[in-house]
Amino acid sequence: MLNAFIQALKNLVSKPVTLQYPLAQDIVLPPQYRGLIEYSAEDCIFCDKCEHACPPRAIIFFQEENGDKVYRYNPHLCIYCGECVRACPKPEEALWQSEKKQPFAVRAENVNSEWKVWEERCHSSREAFAAAKKAKKAAKAQSESVQGDL
Amino acid sequence: MKKTVEIPLGSQHISLLEPIRFRFHCENEVIRDVDADVGFVHRGVEEACASRFEFKQVGYVVARVCGLCAITHSLGYTLAVEKLLHVSTNERIKYLRMLMVELDRIHSHMLCLAHTSENAGFEALFMQIMNDRELIMDVQEALSGNRVQFDYISIGGVNRDLSVEAAALVLRNLALLEPKIDELFERFTNNWSLSLKYRGIGALSLEQAYMYNTLGPLARAAGLVTDVRLETDDFPYAQVGFEIITERGGDIYARNLVRLRELKQSMQMVRNIVEGLPEGAIQEKTKGKPEGEAIARVEAPRGELMYLVRGNKTSILERVRIKTPTFSGIPAMIEIFKGSNFADAPAILASFDPCMSCTAK
Repeated sequence: MLNAFIQALKNLVSKPVTLQYPLAQDIVLPPQYRGLIEYSAEDCIFCDKCEHACPPRAIIFFQEENGDKVYRYNPHLCIYCGECVRACPKPEEALWQSEKKQPFAVRAENVNSEWKVWEERCHSSREAFAAAKKAKKAAKAQSESVQGDL
Repeated sequence: MKKTVEIPLGSQHISLLEPIRFRFHCENEVIRDVDADVGFVHRGVEEACASRFEFKQVGYVVARVCGLCAITHSLGYTLAVEKLLHVSTNERIKYLRMLMVELDRIHSHMLCLAHTSENAGFEALFMQIMNDRELIMDVQEALSGNRVQFDYISIGGVNRDLSVEAAALVLRNLALLEPKIDELFERFTNNWSLSLKYRGIGALSLEQAYMYNTLGPLARAAGLVTDVRLETDDFPYAQVGFEIITERGGDIYARNLVRLRELKQSMQMVRNIVEGLPEGAIQEKTKGKPEGEAIARVEAPRGELMYLVRGNKTSILERVRIKTPTFSGIPAMIEIFKGSNFADAPAILASFDPCMSCTAK
């Protein structure tokens, strides 16, 4: 009982444990925080391994018609597990995990439906490219067979 | 004329952490019968694991089943798949996995004790325990890179090594936590509203514990010797100083004591692991696709967690079955409610430490 009374008196004069968040202190991220995935197009060899490894499918490559690929990443879908970095044949050069905090998703940016449109476009671009390649190969095989006949 | 009055508790209630609904049939103050509905947080995880995700990704999916025991879920799944792939891990990997599981147990038990004290009307103690729990959360963040979603265990090993700074932080924070746990012991054994009030309330006898197949601290508080750490040899628990802890009585007081004593023991085990960490690589090579069926059992903070994984040599698994400790505890929970006072229901519920997102998946 006496202890409780002394403790109560101490608590009366001591400072509160909680802090007013933006005013008193900033959130300090610990070292080696698992943050945003970062990418360098110069070092990438476009093996698509990160895309296959990603559990929530937050990395997708867009296929250009001339054969180039463009990296697309959704930080709001990403779970920051780092599986893509472990799958990457050139980690720390082409793909690495930074210690930066993820951006906030704002409604005005329309992140969800925009990503769905992107995803759809990426898939259709891949299918179109594969179909074009197949058609090209078939045409080539046909011309070769025509040449062989001649 | 009907003698009983029906009183609902939940699905949203001040004493609940997660949605569960009870319908108590009370006669005056005494509960005569209970209906429970636990499926409010169903997300279809099992189906998603067997259809949408490849087996290498499923470890990260099942980690999202529960926020508190995320590490035990990914560990259970990983152990089952490693059995199918015939991978054996080295001692360092085993020790690092044990380290994370024991840290998880410490912060989960502390949350339960905080919740018990809150339901006893001791809100200041709730705040204090949750504040002390941050010490362990900081350690886990330093070890794995995230506070809640650890994503630490992957098939064939662990994702991060224990750095020298992190090991120092573990020992420092444990030293800070130790006197606070001793103080909690005092509070939970001598304070009237936490100990004497709860003696004999919500009691589960040894026969009942055995009959209703209770698991974890709940069974150990009733004196039933059941602990997966003792029964399986997946991890060298005997080397790090594990001994089974049981209490008698099976009431709320005994459950609190079991949790407190397990806290102390887990802290000692974490210390032993950090100090005696063997050398070795943190990732073993894996190849092939899972074929056949395997079962893995892990001791989660709330009891035995069982994973059944069936594969058919493709990257998508055929079946993933998760049996969680709370699910097994529900029959015993309903039995204990019968005959006790309605006013004690929140306290009994908190002492069970139910995890609804685990149960409903």
